[in-house]
Amino acid sequence: MIRLQNIHKEYNGKSALTDVNLHIGLGEFAFLVGPSGAGKSTLMRLLYREEAPTRGTVTIGGVNITRLSRGQVPLLRRRLGIVFQDFKLLPKQTVFDNVAYVLRALGVDEVDVRRRVNSALAIVSLEDKTAEFPETLSGGEQQRVGIARAIVNGPPVLLADEPTGNLDPQTSLEIVQLLDRISQRGTTVLISTHDQPIVDAMRKRVISLKNGQIISDVNSGIYEMEALR
Amino acid sequence: MRNIRIFLRVLTETTTGLKRGGWSNWLVISILAVALTIFGGVLQTTMAIKSVVSSWGSQLEISAYLKDGFDPQKVARNVSQLPDVQLVEIVPKEVAWQEMQNNYKVAALNNPLPNTLHIKLANVQAVEKTADKLKAFTSIEHIRFPLKVARNLNKVRQFLEIAGFVVTGALSAATLVVIGNTIHLVIQSRQREIEILSLTGVSPWYIKGPLILQGASYGMGAALIAGAILFCLHAYMDPYIHEQLLSFLPMNSSVMDVGLLPTLIVVLTLGVAVGAGGSAWTSGRYIKI
Repeated sequence: MIRLQNIHKEYNGKSALTDVNLHIGLGEFAFLVGPSGAGKSTLMRLLYREEAPTRGTVTIGGVNITRLSRGQVPLLRRRLGIVFQDFKLLPKQTVFDNVAYVLRALGVDEVDVRRRVNSALAIVSLEDKTAEFPETLSGGEQQRVGIARAIVNGPPVLLADEPTGNLDPQTSLEIVQLLDRISQRGTTVLISTHDQPIVDAMRKRVISLKNGQIISDVNSGIYEMEALR
Repeated sequence: MRNIRIFLRVLTETTTGLKRGGWSNWLVISILAVALTIFGGVLQTTMAIKSVVSSWGSQLEISAYLKDGFDPQKVARNVSQLPDVQLVEIVPKEVAWQEMQNNYKVAALNNPLPNTLHIKLANVQAVEKTADKLKAFTSIEHIRFPLKVARNLNKVRQFLEIAGFVVTGALSAATLVVIGNTIHLVIQSRQREIEILSLTGVSPWYIKGPLILQGASYGMGAALIAGAILFCLHAYMDPYIHEQLLSFLPMNSSVMDVGLLPTLIVVLTLGVAVGAGGSAWTSGRYIKI
């Protein structure tokens, strides 16, 4: 589902990613780990085409996204769900409206919006909070709203950039378990994180980045703290 | 159907944006209304003065004196083929001589006057050019026209055109800056929404559309206020101008009746265009998708 081939990314001649090769299959769940500055965020930005690689090819669902024109980028992003560390919720809109916001912007009719939003909120167990505003929710609940918004359009790929960065350990684990359940429904999930306890607890595929290079890629792995220092 | 729903959502977002603007909307609209009122006033005045200049210009005529032996009807036909020639009046030498004899006590001589053509032109700019072409006619002995007056009227006309461009340019630039800064503030306040929409694959036009419509609304609101002010000024000033000022001038006062409607249409079009254009430019500059 996601394939990176010989990816290089440079900023002003300074290398952020060097010869990255990676394949993540349909419905797979993987962690992308590494210390700050390892290149995790750069790699994520390449996947949702916030940036283009200096060299190499990024393919999602068989489409080479490095060659997309600016006009085609929104079409790619409709096939991705993105979860952010800071949730990025609209404070003046209810939980329901936050999740429905993008569907309405895409011209989905209101009956379908209601059906899809309720379904997404049921998956994240927030069906009883539809009328609440984000400020009345806990951090974990706010992140669940963010996840509901990311999956409401039924994307085949879900990218989560440090989704537990603002959460306590217990809530973090619940959020990652929720993402795992979403993955089991057939969605490819890639989580960038440096949250060692969570990675170790899940025993999933762990792709380790250091100085812009993949230094290990292990199924049922753990966060190799020593190797990443 | 999907596109209609998206369009309706864009309108809803525009309304929401305007509601959020609150009192600052009125501030922007007031500033724009002042600019558009000045622009409309200058335009209306310029058009009225141009109409007067044009009226004076159309009263200018070229007199062409024909050589003996040429048929004045035939020459008049050839002259009327020239561009910008509106009317050619033939004054046969016999008629001219008769008039002269009636007005002045002249001796009984053989008629020394030539056949004459009085040529009226469509506009004052064409006077010198047409005179040059007439000089090339072998049938024409001599031509006479008020060169200095034509040149001065042309200078006035050119000055008004340049002044109109300068005022339009300056006020459009000022309006663009006001609109641009306002929309920039709106973009900053909606940064989070714009980022979410951009990252979730919403089309750029859905994101920028409400901002462009918001700018166009400012322009339209300002143009309507400016139009109302101009209408009131026109209604108040017009009788005064006709009764007081034009009574001193040797001309029919109707030449200044250029009508307010064209100015109102230009003000409305400019207001909406600059409003939408300024927003589109600012959106393009600050929203990277």
